[in-house]
Amino acid sequence: MKKILAVAKWEYLEKVKTKTFIISLIITPIIIILFSILPSLLFREEAPKVELIGVIDTSGVYFNDLVKELDKYKLEEEQKNYVLINFSFENQIFEELIITANKNIEKNLIEGCLILYHAGSDSVSAEYRTKSLGNFKNVERLEEAIRSIRLKMKLEEEGVDTRLINYFQERVVVKQMQVDEEGKVSEGDFITTFFVSIIFILLLMMMVVYTGQMLVRSMIEEKSSRLIEMLVSSITPDELLTGKIIGLSLLGLTQIFIWSVIGISLVAGALIPLTAFNNIVPMLFYFILGFLFYSSLFVGIGSTVNTEQEAQQITTYLSLILMLPVVMAMPAIQNPDFIVTKIFSYIPLTIPTVMILRLNIGNVSELEIFLTFVILIFSIFIVTKLSAKIFRIGILSYGNKPTLKEIFKWIKE
Amino acid sequence: MLIVNNLVKKFNTTLAVNNISLTVRPGKIFGLLGPNGAGKTTTIRTILNIIKPTSGEIIFNGNPITYEYYNIIGYLPEERGLYKRSKVIDVLVYFAALKNLSKKDAINFADYWLKKLNIFEYRDKKIEQLSKGNQQKIQLIAAIIHNPSLLILDEPFTGFDPINQQEVKDLILSFVSEGKTIIFSTHQMELAEKLCEDILLIDNGRAVTSGKLTDIKKNFGGNNIRVGLAGGLISQNQFPEIVKIDNYNNYSDIQLRDDIIPSEFLKKLIGKIEVNHFSIIEPTLNKIFIDLIKENSNNI
Repeated sequence: MKKILAVAKWEYLEKVKTKTFIISLIITPIIIILFSILPSLLFREEAPKVELIGVIDTSGVYFNDLVKELDKYKLEEEQKNYVLINFSFENQIFEELIITANKNIEKNLIEGCLILYHAGSDSVSAEYRTKSLGNFKNVERLEEAIRSIRLKMKLEEEGVDTRLINYFQERVVVKQMQVDEEGKVSEGDFITTFFVSIIFILLLMMMVVYTGQMLVRSMIEEKSSRLIEMLVSSITPDELLTGKIIGLSLLGLTQIFIWSVIGISLVAGALIPLTAFNNIVPMLFYFILGFLFYSSLFVGIGSTVNTEQEAQQITTYLSLILMLPVVMAMPAIQNPDFIVTKIFSYIPLTIPTVMILRLNIGNVSELEIFLTFVILIFSIFIVTKLSAKIFRIGILSYGNKPTLKEIFKWIKE
Repeated sequence: MLIVNNLVKKFNTTLAVNNISLTVRPGKIFGLLGPNGAGKTTTIRTILNIIKPTSGEIIFNGNPITYEYYNIIGYLPEERGLYKRSKVIDVLVYFAALKNLSKKDAINFADYWLKKLNIFEYRDKKIEQLSKGNQQKIQLIAAIIHNPSLLILDEPFTGFDPINQQEVKDLILSFVSEGKTIIFSTHQMELAEKLCEDILLIDNGRAVTSGKLTDIKKNFGGNNIRVGLAGGLISQNQFPEIVKIDNYNNYSDIQLRDDIIPSEFLKKLIGKIEVNHFSIIEPTLNKIFIDLIKENSNNI
């Protein structure tokens, strides 16, 4: 036991001091911060500044109504979101008006310009010219405004009562609420929770890849220098393996601890809403178990490789498996009961990441959480056993990479 | 005393070690010799308890191998290397901890050996900052820091300059006088000849010869003489008694036919050439090694 601790301590202290570890500690939080701030920036309800929009409406029918319609969008402190400017100057022909508008857009004097063709007739068509095509929100609001103005005009023309017109115009907003296991209803912030689960998956992946690579690299060093022989002439391979896994896990816990501190300060800074962490306890469990599972896998596989390139290959494959949930995120969100998603939530390799994703997009039953925990813990146990067998022989075999057949033989020995 | 009886190690179908027995007496250096791939490493690994033998037994000081055994063996592998980015003292303390030494003892012993091998100034340096020779000294210290009673040294002299070789040789000899049991594996026959009292020569996993070096030399035979000549040279054609002759500047080494008595040959020689030195010589270990391995591979 004393020797196991000596190995664990050595693995931990020597790796904590390495550049790779320190870099992973710094880079990962930067990615988290980017990911957590990005959605709230991208999906802000109101644009933060007043936007000037030009309107070319030679008929003069729409302009005033457009102003009224767009008045309802407010910024903070009751400031108007949009200010419309009439670009239909009397002594200019249509083409000249468009050229003037273009120049104004070019010089950033206005955000964009709405051009109405055949405004006086029933076959009206519209065009919104702007520098940034990505602003779907403005286009959507302009469409909405024009639609409602035309509806109102037509109804008035047909002599419909104004009260009825107002009734038609009213919109019912559908608000999304989330119901959880205990029947509690809450205003779910879907986007943020979704991003939080993606962050967790990315964190897990990066941790596994970073620490896994560190471990494999140090094992290659020990093997190529035959240091491993000095080690196993001092302790049993099982003790060495256990010590390495413990050291690696401590390394992982250090990372989690530092990242949690960063996470908590982000919550405190209100950058991430607390609701995003509704499932934090099972998520952390999946995270830690997943890390343990992959660490023990890495120790076994790592003992069979002799070169840096082989190690790179293996870590690449494993990180692809870890990234799987990001690929299936969309189908899983649209249909949480999708059979493929369900299957992946029972395969040890994908349990941690898929379950972290599922926890945040829909309600997962307690039975399912319990079952996947059991599967995961059981597989950690099995993988450690198998890894120990591979490790025992792998650390002493040099030269060619062993084939799968040979590895099976080692396991059977 | 280390006794290995009828050691056999099979890997799948290949016999890496085929029925090898050896006895290493304390206070003596035992030479484990053989060409590359002969089975030396496998033999060493089984003695170190790194791999389990297919059959056979290993007994140290009257007891079969147990867990405690790990703490009394020291091993210096043939290929050298250490944790390059770690500090010298940290590495030594780590290896000592793996041999169950307390941290305090580990530091004391590490300092003692660093001073003894004249590399104390590198105590707090990283391994990669040391010269290759000094790195090897560190590895040697790592192998002996726990004062092992059984020491296995695989090519301990390669890579050292003559001064360091002398230091290491003195160190090994000091262990001999302390009564440690030492196995020395090497390709350098000259060194083995100087240091080892007993040897085991293996090839293809099998023992080719074993026993006291002096006995082996005696039994190996060969009718060898060395003559110093005042003038002129002997050529093989002149004397039908000569099997082989190596001429050097000051003397010639001659192998005679087995049925020739050296003194008779001397009489004949004196009649023809002026001789100022005559001696009967033993074959070198180097010669024994080459001849026996050749003979062995011809037999297979």
